[in-house]
Amino acid sequence: MDSRPEAFGTARRHALRHLAALAAVAGATSLALPAAAQQAGMPQPDEKVEDTLKRLFGGRPMQPGGDRLKLEAPMIAENGAVVPIRIESDLPMTADNYVRNVYIIADKNRRPLNAKFTLTPDAGRASIATNVRLASTSDLRVVAETSTGALYEVKREVKVTVGGCGG
Amino acid sequence: MSVGQVRMRVPEKAKAGEVVTVRVLVTHPMQTMQYRDGKPVERNYVYINRVEATYNGKKVFEAETTQSVSENPLFVFPVKVDAPGIVQITFHDTEGKTFSGQAEIKF
Repeated sequence: MDSRPEAFGTARRHALRHLAALAAVAGATSLALPAAAQQAGMPQPDEKVEDTLKRLFGGRPMQPGGDRLKLEAPMIAENGAVVPIRIESDLPMTADNYVRNVYIIADKNRRPLNAKFTLTPDAGRASIATNVRLASTSDLRVVAETSTGALYEVKREVKVTVGGCGG
Repeated sequence: MSVGQVRMRVPEKAKAGEVVTVRVLVTHPMQTMQYRDGKPVERNYVYINRVEATYNGKKVFEAETTQSVSENPLFVFPVKVDAPGIVQITFHDTEGKTFSGQAEIKF
């Protein structure tokens, strides 16, 4: 040990310190996991958009929205943290055939399902507006599910300058 | 502004059978998880995950929201009004707190 050049010893100390720091971080992460899992209101785990669509709709065929379902969203969203969107639809809202659920799905968010809205015939018209967060430039989908089980989908690409989902 | 403050806007007057638009804004941080190198470094779970709205006690609108909804969320939804009444909205967050607001629709 004493015969080694001083520079070597310093390098080794630095390396050891880094290793120790890494180990501490790894330990903290593994300890944090079970605690987080116990908390109420856990978000869905990260998943791919294909899995989300499969989970929600189970591969049922979707019709293009066309004139019946429209999505208004900015072409370019400068701030991904607040992207105003508006959904307009002229689908019927009668007691036996109405738009029951409206899903907002952002393809590249960690959890693609942004929000699920449920309407009743008393709403009178299926038009909803809200602000969503988008992680990066991606397709934004809106799927309307009617009470008869028909699915209408509309898809638009939104360019995002600064992502809005943190880190 | 304090967390949970609900502000609502409805048309001043409505006609029977009209579909009115209700705008609701609630003050809430809607925290997101922070990531570094693909791993969560800060786990923040305080966000609104359920919204319910009724008109004269009848459910008209409901939402399940996630962290992908912006801070201080805004919701705009329709209500078909047949009689004058009160729109009541309730927000539930993951800490179990509820925030509510109401607005009167006159004829």
